[in-house]
Amino acid sequence: MAQTIVHDTHATHGLAHHEIETLRPDDLRSARRLMWIWVDTGLAIFALMAILGVTMRAEQAGWISFGPDVFYSILTLHGVGMISAMALATMGGIWYMMRLEGPLDERVAYWAYGFIMAGVAAVILSVFPGKFGAAWTFLYPLPFIGATWAPWATGAFLIGMMLVSVGWSIWCVQLLGCIMQRHGSLRDAMGWDYIFHNRAFTEAGKQPPSAQSFAAMVASIDGLLTGAAGMVIGVALLAHLFNPSMQIDPLWAKNVTYFFGHAIANLTIYMACAWVYVGVPRYAGRSYHTSVPLAVAWWGTLIFVLLAYFHHLYMDFAQAQALQYMGEAFSYMSALPTVVVTIFSCLMLVYRSKMRWTLGSIFIYTGLIGWVVGGIGALLDASIPFNNNLHNTLWVPAHFHTYLLGGVLLFVLGFVFMMLEERTGKSSAPALRWLVGTLVFGGMAAFLLGFYVAGAAGVPRRYAIEPAPGPHVASWATVGAIVMLIGMAVALVEGIRMATRKPQGRLS
Amino acid sequence: MARGPLVLPLFLVLAALAIAVMIGIALSTRASTLELSAVQGRAYALRRWWLSALVVVFAALFAITIPSFPYLKAAELTTAKHVPVTAVQFAFPIPAVLPVNTPIVFDVTSKDVNHGFGIYDPENRLLAQVQAMPDYVNHLAVNFTEPGKYTVRCMEFCGVGHAYMQATFEVR
Repeated sequence: MAQTIVHDTHATHGLAHHEIETLRPDDLRSARRLMWIWVDTGLAIFALMAILGVTMRAEQAGWISFGPDVFYSILTLHGVGMISAMALATMGGIWYMMRLEGPLDERVAYWAYGFIMAGVAAVILSVFPGKFGAAWTFLYPLPFIGATWAPWATGAFLIGMMLVSVGWSIWCVQLLGCIMQRHGSLRDAMGWDYIFHNRAFTEAGKQPPSAQSFAAMVASIDGLLTGAAGMVIGVALLAHLFNPSMQIDPLWAKNVTYFFGHAIANLTIYMACAWVYVGVPRYAGRSYHTSVPLAVAWWGTLIFVLLAYFHHLYMDFAQAQALQYMGEAFSYMSALPTVVVTIFSCLMLVYRSKMRWTLGSIFIYTGLIGWVVGGIGALLDASIPFNNNLHNTLWVPAHFHTYLLGGVLLFVLGFVFMMLEERTGKSSAPALRWLVGTLVFGGMAAFLLGFYVAGAAGVPRRYAIEPAPGPHVASWATVGAIVMLIGMAVALVEGIRMATRKPQGRLS
Repeated sequence: MARGPLVLPLFLVLAALAIAVMIGIALSTRASTLELSAVQGRAYALRRWWLSALVVVFAALFAITIPSFPYLKAAELTTAKHVPVTAVQFAFPIPAVLPVNTPIVFDVTSKDVNHGFGIYDPENRLLAQVQAMPDYVNHLAVNFTEPGKYTVRCMEFCGVGHAYMQATFEVR
């Protein structure tokens, strides 16, 4: 039986009521529609990519056999598709939150969405029917040597990635513009005076940017640099495609590619933070405000996200040694803002609170756990002595699946159910929560443990056919993934049921 | 040294600790409710301690791990036996026999795309690895202390034959 939600009174999406009410109902409805388009598209792509992911694990388990060429095409699509899915969903969510804080032109957001979807379409075309299979990393010169696909497929893939980068950059520019407009300057948007002249700032009656505004600012600044890197490597590889005599330095290409890939994958979780800042206080019935430690933490994240990528090149001994040292140091440092400020603050808000445990809050809270556990796996891998034995083993997908699947996706689902619960004024029945929780988290644990166990045993990643103990471990990991997807399907049915009910809640 | 087997229990212990703390905090919501102001003071004091502890742990980890960095090892071995390896899609041309208890430096490069040169010991544990990159030579220092059959596997995705790209050699 569904439970009626007792609304707390102090916050809606992290904003006071009067702030939301400054938006006209039509504008609010329109902004919410745009947000749902981004989020739903992200979730739909996730569902398709998850099926591809399970198919790959089944191939590695030896349950099915479709050959390495198809496997690597699927691997390529799965990698690009999943990051695009998580980026789309979190971009939609953070756009909506910033829209609640200030004016944002929806046409620009639709253009950004259009570019990204055109890019996704081009990538799909490159894989089916193009058979492109150089993985999302497309490390130069792999797309051009020994390829089992036609050159046009390489071109379609690179153009697709560049279109995604263009859409992403448009979104970043728009968001950064909105934040700067709201706070007057980049200096104020970053909370400079709030941090360094706090007393004068407070006495002047000024308000620092919201917590979610910091997340948006970091995502848009780092996102612009990331998008630029994506376009640079895309142009370089396209130039080589049309003029093979034009050579590229492989080490330079690897650095740019991983800078692009590492940052964009990590930014999805920092964007999802915006939902956490809103969701946790709301469910816990406690308020959460910007503080100096929070502002400083986001400054740290702004830097660390960009510089930790060097750990992807630990096994390139030709890389300058100083960069290897930086890779380990910045990887460690990148954990500090997360565990000392964001996650610590969330735990403080939950501790001995009147937390309402609904599907929305369970997903968000479990997402925090996934973030921490994935982070532990990542830190071990970022320690060079361990990396000697873990680099490019299944330990790598182990930790990034933990914080993308067990972190970002759960934050997305938490946000979706939070919105649905507010809309209907009700939460799901306890039995359904237990069913979804058991299937999703139980299946997810088995699926993820498979990666960790095989990674620690040295099984290389990206193998269509794995050495022992890979196939055995892949068998129970596949079962876990299927159980998890069944749980998510149950959650989907519940979400559709809630979305089609007559609105009764505050966001009706 | 193969640290793979060590890392899993370490990860599981740390993850279990983190999960236990977070579940404990979730369960605390069943107890009597406290005002946020009553929690904040202690929490902020705890946070200062937590930050200090993490900074110390990370700084110590960084210092402790530096001697295990593999980058200078090859240069230090001035009398080592050098074994050139030029990886190619999808094979590692490598001598069939290598000496036991002898410092060896593999001079690893690639003729075509990026590969990974991963050495597995006779118990199938990943012993050491380095990237094989066109236009660059990476020097990997290894001293095989146990005789037996070793396997080299590709550790960087290199195309449709990636999973089949391996070689074996005997250490005696």
